[in-house]
Amino acid sequence: MQIISKSLTFSYNEKANFSRRALDGATLTVNEGDFFGIIGETGSGKSTFIQHLNGLIPLQSGTLTVGEFNLTVPKKRKEKKAFLKSLKQLRSKVGMVFQYPEYQLFAETVREDVAFGVKNFFPNASQEEVDFKVKKAIELVGLDYNLVAEKSPFDLSGGQKRRVAIAGVLASEPETLVLDEPVAGLDPVSKKRLMSLLHTLHDTGVVKTVIIVSHDMNDVMENCNRVAVFENGKVVKECEPKSLFENYDDYALSRLGLPVTAYLTKTLKGVGVNVESSYKIEDFTNKLIEKYFENR
Amino acid sequence: MLQDVTFGQYYETQSFVHKMDARIKLLALILYVVLIFVVKNFYGFLVVGAFLIVATIFSRVPLGAMLSSVKGILFLILFTVLLNVFFYQAPNETILFWVVSVESLTFAGFMALRLITLVLGSMLLTLTTTPVALTDAIESLLSPLKVIKFPVHELALVMSIALRFIPTLMAEADRIIMAQKARGADFDSGSLVARAKAMIPVLIPLLISAFRRAEELGDAMDSRSYSSSAVRTKYKKYRLTYRDLIGSIICVISLAGVILLNVYAGGIV
Repeated sequence: MQIISKSLTFSYNEKANFSRRALDGATLTVNEGDFFGIIGETGSGKSTFIQHLNGLIPLQSGTLTVGEFNLTVPKKRKEKKAFLKSLKQLRSKVGMVFQYPEYQLFAETVREDVAFGVKNFFPNASQEEVDFKVKKAIELVGLDYNLVAEKSPFDLSGGQKRRVAIAGVLASEPETLVLDEPVAGLDPVSKKRLMSLLHTLHDTGVVKTVIIVSHDMNDVMENCNRVAVFENGKVVKECEPKSLFENYDDYALSRLGLPVTAYLTKTLKGVGVNVESSYKIEDFTNKLIEKYFENR
Repeated sequence: MLQDVTFGQYYETQSFVHKMDARIKLLALILYVVLIFVVKNFYGFLVVGAFLIVATIFSRVPLGAMLSSVKGILFLILFTVLLNVFFYQAPNETILFWVVSVESLTFAGFMALRLITLVLGSMLLTLTTTPVALTDAIESLLSPLKVIKFPVHELALVMSIALRFIPTLMAEADRIIMAQKARGADFDSGSLVARAKAMIPVLIPLLISAFRRAEELGDAMDSRSYSSSAVRTKYKKYRLTYRDLIGSIICVISLAGVILLNVYAGGIV
């Protein structure tokens, strides 16, 4: 599904005198098949933006289409009712994993928690179908079904809880997966595992499009094929990570901090070592090693 | 969204009533409540109404914010009125039809006025007083009870923490509701039972998070060696000013006025 937003504007507490504009004309296109990164400082509007994608926040102004869904809220009462009903269908297609999703677990067992979404989206599914989907989702996130299915989600470790929460979204088989700060608060190993899990899901076509929100440059550089930079509710840059890396002197990017590779290139240049720029840590390290042996 | 719900929200502005000492305002509210229950006839409500109008004008709180509180208890008012209309019995009733009499209608109107003025008065207090000032006032007013070992400070602490966490938990509830909606939860349709059941996936995580927050807060307080038995000074000292004197005088005059009217104009029944 292609996602096209044009001049999306949104204010919290629209009518109150202390209203705050969270989105101020955000224009953005995410193509099917993208591993899309959204970066920006805290309060730049990235979370507000993604909450529009499955109709959790009603559109105030601007337009947004997600696949064939037009998210403009109809004015007529009857149409509005039908629109609100159709949102459920949209939500089954655009899976949303919130920040710290493990805080939303509630059921007695992992199996029941993962089944929650499936039962909501496919009310007519038989018990076998539900069980099948749940099992598949739990295995997709790399957990042992037989080991965890009947456990209480609250007995699991932090990283495992997050996987269960993601499985809860994957179980309803969304085409697009949106994750808000998916690696926040995880240790480096769990972080790496989770990212490679997302890549596996994307590469094997379990989900067609992945959108991740982050304020860490490196996460986005390493993983995404397209990136949008949010600032004060606007999209100030939409490009490939490579070009983000090459223009790291831009104001918006410098506020977010340099990615590790850019920082190293810059520092090495300062001491007279010119390494060909490359933005992925792995490529960069390889080039650096090559350079080292060249000089020996 | 949940945060839109007005819950005794403080209205930020500078005014005579805002600057009054919270203790005096609290005492005034207690006096005001007594006043409302002492009132025996509609003339008395003229005094109450005048008091409310004067207080509202000097608080510079918009009328809409005040009246929104009445909207919240509209159902309760309606319920009370209906009950009174049908079940109120007085000797020598002037029956209009069935069980409805002039007396029962008058009494129902009287009760409705009582409820409305009660809510408006307490709304004025919370609109013009920050929760912090309010708990400080309660602590200060209850401090004589320390003599009999009543944990006044602890009570005030519990209150201020509870008040402090209302917006936090509301925001949290909002987030959880969104997350469950994203998983296809439906909170707006179905029978009453179905809707109540739909809240379970929200309430459990909310409860867990409340416990987690409580534990974290406890740890944070412990790590700073917080002890309720310690003698502590206040960051903000409350001093009585001429405003408090004027406010108190107006309250006492209103009470006197109502009592006089009770004596001279008699009761409604």
